[in-house]
Amino acid sequence: MKKTIRDTTVADRLLFVLLIAAAVAGLFISREAMSQSNDVIVEINGSPAYTFPLTTDRTFTVQGALWETVIEIKGRKVRIKEAHCPNRICVREGWVSKGAIICLPNRVVVVVGGTGRSGKDIDAVTG
Amino acid sequence: MMLLQDKYRIAVLAAYALALHGFEGLLPMPIPWLRLGLANIITLVALMLYGFRTAITVTLIRVIIASIFTGTFLGPAFILSFGGGVAGTAAMGLALLIGRNVFGPVGLSLIGALFHNAGQLVLAYFLFIQRIEAVLIISPVLILIGTLTGVTNGVISDLLIKNLTRPDEDAAVFPTTGPSTE
Amino acid sequence: MNFRTTYSAFLAVLGLCLISSCFMHREATYKKTKELMDTFVTVTVVSDSAEKGNEAIEKAFATIGKFGALVNFFSDESEVSNINRNAGVMPVKVSPETLEVIDKAVFVAAKSGGAFDPTIGPVMKLWDFHNNIKASADDIKKGLRLVDYRNIIIDREKSTVFLRHKGMMLDPGGIAKGYAADLAVKTLKEQGIRAGVVAAAGDIRTFGARPDGKPWNIGIKNPRPVKGSTNDILAVIGLGDKAISTSGDYERFFIEDGQRYHHILDPKTGYPAGGCRSVTIITGRGVFTDAFSTAVFVLGPEKGLKLAQDEEMEALIVDVNGKIFMTPGLKEKLKFEKND
Repeated sequence: MKKTIRDTTVADRLLFVLLIAAAVAGLFISREAMSQSNDVIVEINGSPAYTFPLTTDRTFTVQGALWETVIEIKGRKVRIKEAHCPNRICVREGWVSKGAIICLPNRVVVVVGGTGRSGKDIDAVTG
Repeated sequence: MMLLQDKYRIAVLAAYALALHGFEGLLPMPIPWLRLGLANIITLVALMLYGFRTAITVTLIRVIIASIFTGTFLGPAFILSFGGGVAGTAAMGLALLIGRNVFGPVGLSLIGALFHNAGQLVLAYFLFIQRIEAVLIISPVLILIGTLTGVTNGVISDLLIKNLTRPDEDAAVFPTTGPSTE
Repeated sequence: MNFRTTYSAFLAVLGLCLISSCFMHREATYKKTKELMDTFVTVTVVSDSAEKGNEAIEKAFATIGKFGALVNFFSDESEVSNINRNAGVMPVKVSPETLEVIDKAVFVAAKSGGAFDPTIGPVMKLWDFHNNIKASADDIKKGLRLVDYRNIIIDREKSTVFLRHKGMMLDPGGIAKGYAADLAVKTLKEQGIRAGVVAAAGDIRTFGARPDGKPWNIGIKNPRPVKGSTNDILAVIGLGDKAISTSGDYERFFIEDGQRYHHILDPKTGYPAGGCRSVTIITGRGVFTDAFSTAVFVLGPEKGLKLAQDEEMEALIVDVNGKIFMTPGLKEKLKFEKND
C-alpha cells in the first residue's frame, strides 16, 4: 500500500490536491447560495406575499382569498395547520420540506425552496 | 482486426466488470449518491494494459448488459451511465495520450471519475433537470465523492496491475499477455 | 515529494482559497419577514456577510416594533390611545416619533383639503370589513362631527398632542406604516447597510441599488387581476432612493347588494371614496407616500392627479372604470405587464 502511494506521479498528486480544493471551495460557495434558498414563500392569489426563513420555527396566519390559513414552520419543515377549505387537502399534505402545498379555493400556495412569482424578478410589491 | 485472444480478453474483463458492478449494487449504502464505481477499476486496468479499444468495449458491454439485467435499458439511468462511462473512459484514454508516464493509475482513476461525473451531470442537465442551481449545488459534493472513490479505485487498480504484470501463475484467471497492437 | 511539487500544490490550494474567498465576500441580498404593526413586514438588505445583514434586519424589525407600539390604535398602552382617551380633556406628552407622524399627518391633511384626515377614527370604527358590517347613516352623521384635522393641537416645544373635542379619535393607520418604513431605513443606514428595501405591507421604501447594480424592481398590483392568472402585477418600476405606497379598494372590502364597500373612507361623507380603484404615489419619504396615496384616492383622478403634481410627486391612478392616469414622465419609467 505504501509503495503505491510512493508510486503516484507528480501529476497524480497535483490533480488530487486540486480536486479536493475545488470541491471544498465549491462547498463553501454553494453554502452561501443555499442559505438564501431556504425560504418559505407564501403566495396569495398567485403573488408572493410573504417570505419566511425555513430556519426559524413559527406559526402564523395569512388571509387568503376566502378565509384565513394557519401555517406552521417547525424543524425546517412547513405545513398548513388550519384551513377552512371543505376537503382540507392542504392540511392533510402534512409536513413539507421541499416543494409546495396548495390550497386552491383559498388561493394560498406555500412554496419551500423555490422561486416565487415564477421567474419574475421583483423585489417587493406595493398595492 | 480483432484477434480471438482479444475477444476472449474483452469477454473476461467485461464479466469481471459486471461482477463488480453487481457486487457494488448489493452493498448497503447509507448515502444514495455514493457510487463507488468499482467496475471502473476494470476499465482502467484494461486501458493501461490493453489499450483504449479494449477499455471502451469493456465499458460499453458492462453498461449495456447491466442495464438489461436491471431492466433499465434505454431508460434515463442507462443514458446517464452510458454517457458517464464513455466520457470517463475517453478522458482517461486522452490523458494517457499526453504521456504514458505523466499520470499513474491513481491520477487516471481521478480523471476517469471526474469526467464520468461531469458527463452524467451534463447529460442530466440537458435531458432531465433544466435547473442549473440544482446542478451547481450538487457538483462540489460529487467532485469530493468522486475524488475519494477515484483515489481508492486508483490504488486498487495499481495493485492489480502490479500483481498482474508479474510474470507468474494466475495467467489463466486473468489474461495478461501485453497490450495488443490494434 | 520534491520541493517543486509541494510548492506548486501549495500555490494551487492558495489560489483556490483566494478565488473562493471572493465568492464568500460577494454582496448578496438577505430577506426576512416578520409580523409587525398588524401586518407582515419584509426587510431586504444588501450585505457582504450573512451575520451583518441579518443583524441589521433584526434591528430594523425592532425599530418598527417599537414605533408600532407607540401608535397602535388597537392597544390601550399606545401613545395614540392615550391621546384619544384624553380627547377634550388635556394634551398628552408623546415621543418624538409619534409627534412627527401626527405632524406630518396634519400636513398632508392640510395640503389635501381634508381628503386625508387622521381624525377619521370615530367613523372608521363604525365599519367592520372583517365581518362585513356596514355603518349606519345616523352613526356616520354623528361621527363626522368629530372628524376635523384642524382640531388636532400640536405643541412642538412641549412635545404634546391635544384633541380638542371629546370623542375625537386619531387613527394613524393611513400614515403609520409609511413612517415606520422610513424609520427602518434610517436604522439600516445606521447599521452600515448601503442598500435595501423595507416593505411594510404595501408601503415600501427603497435605498441604494441591488447587488447587480440595477434599481429595485417594485411591482404595482393590478386592482382587478384576471381571474385564474398567476400574474397580479399591473406594472413594474425600478426605484433607487424612493418610497412608494398604494391605496386600493381591494385591500379591505366587502360587497353587499352588488356595491363594493372598501376601507378608504372619504372624511367628508364617511363612506368609501368612489373615484378610484387604486392609487400609487412615489416620492422621497414613506410617510408622505402612505398618507398622500389615501388623499389622492379620496380626491379622485382629476383633483388627485393635480395634488400629486403640485406636491412634485409621481402618481399612478387607476380610476373606478379601470382607466389609467399618470403624472407626466412616469409612463416611461413603468414597465406594464402583458395581461392587464
